[in-house]
Amino acid sequence: MNHDRAKHLLYAYADRQIGIMRRFFLRRHVTGCPSCLAELETIQATRSALRTNLPMHRAPPALAARIASALPREMAPPIPRQRLHFGFAGGSLAGGLAGVALTLAVTRVVPPADPLVADVVADHVRSMMADHLTDVPTSDQHTVKPWLSARLDLSPVVKDFVAEGYPLIGGRLDYVDGHRAAAIVYRRDKHVINLFAFVANDRSDAPLRLDTRDGFNVVRWRTGGLSYVAVSDVEAAQLLAFVHLVESG
Amino acid sequence: MGTVRRYDLCFAWMDALAIDARNRRFELLAMPHLDAAFNLARWLTGNTADAEDVVQDAYLRAFRYLDTFRGENFRVWLLTIVRNSFLDWLKDNRSGRQLFQPAPADLEWTDPNPSPEALLLDRVDSETLSALVAQLPAEYREVLILREIEDLSYKDIASVTGIPSGTVMSRLSRARLALRKAWISNEKRP
Repeated sequence: MNHDRAKHLLYAYADRQIGIMRRFFLRRHVTGCPSCLAELETIQATRSALRTNLPMHRAPPALAARIASALPREMAPPIPRQRLHFGFAGGSLAGGLAGVALTLAVTRVVPPADPLVADVVADHVRSMMADHLTDVPTSDQHTVKPWLSARLDLSPVVKDFVAEGYPLIGGRLDYVDGHRAAAIVYRRDKHVINLFAFVANDRSDAPLRLDTRDGFNVVRWRTGGLSYVAVSDVEAAQLLAFVHLVESG
Repeated sequence: MGTVRRYDLCFAWMDALAIDARNRRFELLAMPHLDAAFNLARWLTGNTADAEDVVQDAYLRAFRYLDTFRGENFRVWLLTIVRNSFLDWLKDNRSGRQLFQPAPADLEWTDPNPSPEALLLDRVDSETLSALVAQLPAEYREVLILREIEDLSYKDIASVTGIPSGTVMSRLSRARLALRKAWISNEKRP
């Protein structure tokens, strides 16, 4: 890769937003180019300064209520009434029609979804909204792990990945897919990652699977008889990098 | 006829059910991203009161267009609407002032003096950094916030801002460069 091209791509490289081939050739150029190397260091310093020190403005508590009360209640989505005339033609009873109406309303508004994904996303959201992120708020893995093991009879991977940019925040008990679960809480910059671990009915190993729902990424896998699910709104690549840390930890 | 009245009643009930379900779906989808929406609006407008108005307007729009949401990332969809609401707010409130300025031409691709000063940036306190970012042109500010706080990918930033991914890349590097310049001149000020 030539110098100008490399220089142009340095930011995207620091942001991990270029593909594996370009990464490879860029790295090869940078290691042999003192000016690019210096530039990359400056870029990384800027980037980490922004990520650590730029404040996130949280919504004032009253805003949610203000929006909820401003939402119109009278605006119904169009309902395909023509199809219902059909069912009514036989002079069926109101009860029967209500049943049809209910089915229609439900099938229209609820997207088909994997219940596990929906469940963990709901747990994740609740953990942040109810201000109940952790039962043991500590970055000490030697406190979190025994605390969880004592209550759950399972021994998940608990490790502080602060050096890799995923500090451990703590642990809590949760409930996933009908199982008591350990929730191990990490942070990535301003974002929370919930890592759930539980014993599922199926204990065979399963490879990583990534789902996206409502703006949250969900990665699940099974290893050593334990099911793991990681949920966060960090981008998929970063969540997968985290999962690899957990897997190799 | 009695049949007709019963028929109307049923539809009224159906509407009520559908409205309820729609409101609940919206709350489930949109409320978890309220902080993200507010954060973007706060950085764009520069103050809490205006940010609240922009976010409320965006949420009402999102609710109205909920059925058009087909993508898989609701946060990206919502932030796009927040940004549009901000642009409209801008038109209504600051018609005289142009906040989205064209990129200053004097900004080179690379740092003209990549010096140890630039590295000091990681020791800047959060207040100074906020002030520096707040002074950047809005088009720089928005990509910085979407990238560094919201952690969106270049592709997602492209869909929120409506510019091509390649432009996202160059705009981000210009934004960070502008920030570094501002920081260095801030330091040199007596």
